[in-house]
Amino acid sequence: MLIEQAAYGNRWRRVSPAAKGSLALAGLLAAFVAATPATAAFVALLLALTTVLGARVPAGVYLRVAAPAVGFLALGSLSLLVAVGTDTAGHLSWGLAPDAGPRIATVAGRSLASLTALLLLVLTTPLPDLIGLLRYLRVPEVLLDLMVLCYRMLFVLAAAVRDTLTAQSARLGYASLRHGWRSLGLLVANLTVQIWQRAQALHRAALARNGGGPLRFLSPGFANAGRDTLLAAVAGAALIVLAAGLG
Amino acid sequence: MAGELLLELQAVSHVFADGSRGLDGCSLGIRRGSRNALLGANGSGKTTLLLHLNGLLQPSAGSIRVDGCTLDYSRSGLAALRRRVGLVFQNPERQLFSASVFEDVSFGPLNLGLDETGVRARVAQALAAVGMAEQAERPVHHLSFGQKKRVCIAGVLAMQPELLLLDEPTAGLDSGMQEDLLRILDDLSARGISIVLATHDVDFAYRWADHIHLLAGGRCSASFAASELPQQAATLRAAGQAMPAVVQLHRSLVARGVLPAAPVPGSIPQLLALLAETPAVEPNLDETPSARQRSAA
Repeated sequence: MLIEQAAYGNRWRRVSPAAKGSLALAGLLAAFVAATPATAAFVALLLALTTVLGARVPAGVYLRVAAPAVGFLALGSLSLLVAVGTDTAGHLSWGLAPDAGPRIATVAGRSLASLTALLLLVLTTPLPDLIGLLRYLRVPEVLLDLMVLCYRMLFVLAAAVRDTLTAQSARLGYASLRHGWRSLGLLVANLTVQIWQRAQALHRAALARNGGGPLRFLSPGFANAGRDTLLAAVAGAALIVLAAGLG
Repeated sequence: MAGELLLELQAVSHVFADGSRGLDGCSLGIRRGSRNALLGANGSGKTTLLLHLNGLLQPSAGSIRVDGCTLDYSRSGLAALRRRVGLVFQNPERQLFSASVFEDVSFGPLNLGLDETGVRARVAQALAAVGMAEQAERPVHHLSFGQKKRVCIAGVLAMQPELLLLDEPTAGLDSGMQEDLLRILDDLSARGISIVLATHDVDFAYRWADHIHLLAGGRCSASFAASELPQQAATLRAAGQAMPAVVQLHRSLVARGVLPAAPVPGSIPQLLALLAETPAVEPNLDETPSARQRSAA
């Protein structure tokens, strides 16, 4: 929901997704071009500042969205500290990896820069716009249909879960652990039927509007898309050159 | 061409896979440019009938005629029917499957094979017709129930149907939203679009429709002009429907000599307008407020 909130409420909401996509792609490339952890960290900082200061995504929202990914990155980096191998006697052994420090710094720096590049895109672009961009890029229809339906059904099912949970709680469904487990089972069983019924209903609704094949939609247009994409491409190229130059 | 039969059901029956009977020898006609209400209690077969009119269900017996020709259930025949007959379902959550308003409304016209410019123009027109032009880029899940309902109507209008079918369109809407919806339906009707709506609300059907088709237990028990409804007391009773409140009130006022027997008002606002034109009756000053309350009790 935080991502949704930022994507619909930022200053770049009306900017063409192609422009934002180009900038994010350039950010990803710059992350890979960056040879030292310091350069990668600098790219990450630039991208984060662009998102917060340029697109006006609130810093609090940005940090809260980034926190789980950064936590996962930290955990992953810790696991790189450990090296598993066999000792001279052929037994399995583990210990601190000898060259762990620089390797972790490089991987973590690049991952952080890649993360900020993706955040720049997802925190400024609502998913429908993003799907529109992917459609323009000729991503297979079946993947797009799945994305559209998953995104829509996520909210429909969230509402169904909320309603059922409320109805169960109102009748003491979660008053004790035993009742809680039983209610949870009933909730899952009920949702399974609901999903099946909703799928049937959506199929029928699509047929009623002459659908039946791929789900075809048209995205709203964006003013100044060409100019914005060109600007983003220039900025992105500058970022890549800067990352390569810093080494 | 107004008044010609656009669609006709001839003794249509439908038996579901579980053996239950949805429709039982139902016959009725929908005239071009008319406003029709399918009136019946829950489970009377209204939705099943609408699904037949859009070709989503095929009769087990009987036939459906469009412009006098028997409906063709081939892929192209159904596509041609759905191009002309649009269906708005009762629950918007089960009809809207795209992420944003604009995208969802574009679904139907794209299926008609129109080019991008044509689709954009139709989406804009349809959203303007239901007062949702400002919300075009909002995600569907950010809309209220009433707004979702309007988007559903726009999604069908964008296909420019000749006949619009609406299943319980006022269900779940507050009175303000119902008035908005009525205005939209009046606009569409004024543009020559034929409308059939399913409802269990006799007051609404009497107020809005030109023609009323009564359904009970899967049977089309009667079809008559809405103006003839006050004379259909026995038929209404047999279908489990009450006389509209405005008719009952009008009769009561006629019996007390307050209003003339004709014209019969179609709605409470019309009744109030008639009362406003009638000279006020002198109140009985001998009767105290407490006496009036007692007699009311």
